[in-house]
Amino acid sequence: MKPRKDLLDIQSLTDEEIEFVLENAVPFKDLFRRSVKKVPTLKGRTMLTLFYEPSTRTRSSFEVAASRLSADVTHFDVESSSVVKGESVLDTVETLEAMRVDYIVVRHKQAGIPNLIAKNTAASVINAGDGWHAHPTQALLDGFTLREVFKDLRGARCLIAGDIQHSRVARSTSLLLRRLGMNVAYLAPGSLMPREIPREIPQFGNWTDALEWKPDVVYLLRVQSERLDEPFFPSAAEYHKNYGLTDARVQILRERGIYLMHPGPVNRGVEITDKGMDYEKSLINQQVENGIAVRMSVLYWLRPGAQGGES
Amino acid sequence: MSNKRLYRGASIASEDSPKLTRADVLVEGDRIIGVAAKIEKAEGAEVIDCSGRILMPAMFDIHVHAREPGQEEKENIATCAEAAINGGVTGFVMMPNTAPAIDNAGVVRGVLESARRTRIGAGIYTTGAITKGRNGEELASIAGMKAAGAVMLTDDGFPVDNPQVLRRAMEYARDFDLPLASHCEVKELSGKGAMHEGSVSYALGLHGIPSISEEICIARDIRLAEYTGVHLNIQHVTTALGMETIKRAKDRGIRVTCEIAPHHLIFNHEDIGSYDTHYKMNPPLRTKEDNAALLQGLIDGWFDVIATDHAPHTEFEKNQDFASAPFGITGLETALPSLYDYFISKGIFGWDVIVKRYSAEPRRIFKLPPVPIVEGGAAEFIVFNPERSTRFDRDFMKSKSVNTPFLDKELKGMVERVVYLREELLSR
Repeated sequence: MKPRKDLLDIQSLTDEEIEFVLENAVPFKDLFRRSVKKVPTLKGRTMLTLFYEPSTRTRSSFEVAASRLSADVTHFDVESSSVVKGESVLDTVETLEAMRVDYIVVRHKQAGIPNLIAKNTAASVINAGDGWHAHPTQALLDGFTLREVFKDLRGARCLIAGDIQHSRVARSTSLLLRRLGMNVAYLAPGSLMPREIPREIPQFGNWTDALEWKPDVVYLLRVQSERLDEPFFPSAAEYHKNYGLTDARVQILRERGIYLMHPGPVNRGVEITDKGMDYEKSLINQQVENGIAVRMSVLYWLRPGAQGGES
Repeated sequence: MSNKRLYRGASIASEDSPKLTRADVLVEGDRIIGVAAKIEKAEGAEVIDCSGRILMPAMFDIHVHAREPGQEEKENIATCAEAAINGGVTGFVMMPNTAPAIDNAGVVRGVLESARRTRIGAGIYTTGAITKGRNGEELASIAGMKAAGAVMLTDDGFPVDNPQVLRRAMEYARDFDLPLASHCEVKELSGKGAMHEGSVSYALGLHGIPSISEEICIARDIRLAEYTGVHLNIQHVTTALGMETIKRAKDRGIRVTCEIAPHHLIFNHEDIGSYDTHYKMNPPLRTKEDNAALLQGLIDGWFDVIATDHAPHTEFEKNQDFASAPFGITGLETALPSLYDYFISKGIFGWDVIVKRYSAEPRRIFKLPPVPIVEGGAAEFIVFNPERSTRFDRDFMKSKSVNTPFLDKELKGMVERVVYLREELLSR
């Protein structure tokens, strides 16, 4: 396995690398059962989080992961008030380069910003979500979580429901689950279903057809509030009724033993209800816990300064 | 020094035949005074060995962004003229999306004065904007711009959204005998799009510009052209369906011409790879299928002209994330070698296509005489060596900007000489 500098997307990963990350997340997760949850693996290394979009959950997850590996953790405050453009990103990277941090965890609303940063720094860049493009650590933690539930993922079926068009989670998680041998299908209103997706992914426009596909897992996506302002669908209520996981649909999941996932944070009353949140086969909390283990594994795997990180 | 030059042993390209003719060409002053299989006596003439070389009429590009006034960090008319010469282009038409826009007689006169100071002064023309400030609302002073020398109207970079404004502009342009060029795009459909809407934009997570954005506007503008009788020129066509719409209009006798850019023949959206902004332009690179259809359209004569949409931007501007980087790539210097390398050298089309579409027809659109290599003709031709190759590095390129997918790459062929009336503007 060649050393890799950056984690930017799922496409560029080899099968061997995916296995490496998922396998090493197991012992890291075992640590969480101990009273001392820390190992000295990354002592003396520095991880910096650079979030141009607020995300308390993902950022905290990375910070806890880095702390448990004994890395020093710092946050670069990006003024949320100023319009952040590409050029100022590179100016920031120059500053970070001078600080000689080892890992930069980036979130940005523009697709491709982590690629741009990765080209301009020796630090390892981890994409923590860039626009609609990719969220590779989310995908890896989803794959890890499903492996805990199903011994063998080959042939298992995951239905991803919601705003497929604008979801980096749908892109990255689909790619990863399919690499692990799962079948993936999409459920979305036509206005949120991309026009050109791989032919092997069945597309459904309603729950009846989607459930007939017999999924083992339903993966709900968050409806972004900005979608409500554009005419993608008439109203949140109508979305919920037609595409959300209503209480009646939770009951169907229960009867059929279907697991439920969500990348968080949820919009109660839109894609999910209170009852859905309490569903006993929900893996949502497990996803959060596994997120830390998988991110530890990613930090352990990447090599700051390695060549050829760009995909 | 003698003012006679004998170009010996060349292969002459013309718009009439894909076959090259072996001939010697004798130039005196600014005229070609002899073209014959063998010119023996040419007393006092400097003899230039052109064996293995192709002589073709110098090119004329009807779609160029010279960035003057106001964007001189990207390009100015002087550097743009040198870039043109470097590519074998001795005439071009400038677009009005400058700062301020070329939307009145004063700015028209200003840019033409700048143009006169270059080495191809007489060959540089300008368009004028259709609307004031190119904002699509009020008509610009069309008669004044025409009197000052503007040769075409366009709001290039933007469509005129309001069909009533466009209709009035067309009626006016028709009466002042000015072609009107359309950048066809329905802005609401393009939205924040940065590239073609399709499998690649989906994978990269970028907003897409759907083909229908261009195709619907082409259909609308053609219908308006038919209604008003203006000469409509559709700029940079990128989709097979858009091209077919134009062909049907031509078949019905509507006065419409259209442009194809070399990059839309050569590249497609898959070339964007990992967010390479040297492949970002508007209209965007479409699909492989579009490449093939457009190429066949060029061969079959559906496109009137090849035009590069030479659009310089600084390295700083292009070195951003894909969505933030500006649209556009340079083209004047790379057009001929790229078309030679990708198509002519492989026998996909002949030299006649280049001569007709990138030299003769572009001039005819503006009622300018073409410059064929014939006895008595103007000496305005280039010497192209197909055996050499050109590396497009920063030293080679004369444009102020290097935003081309061919940066630091090599293409077959080299423009060795550019003959422009009494001078050789280039010789290497």
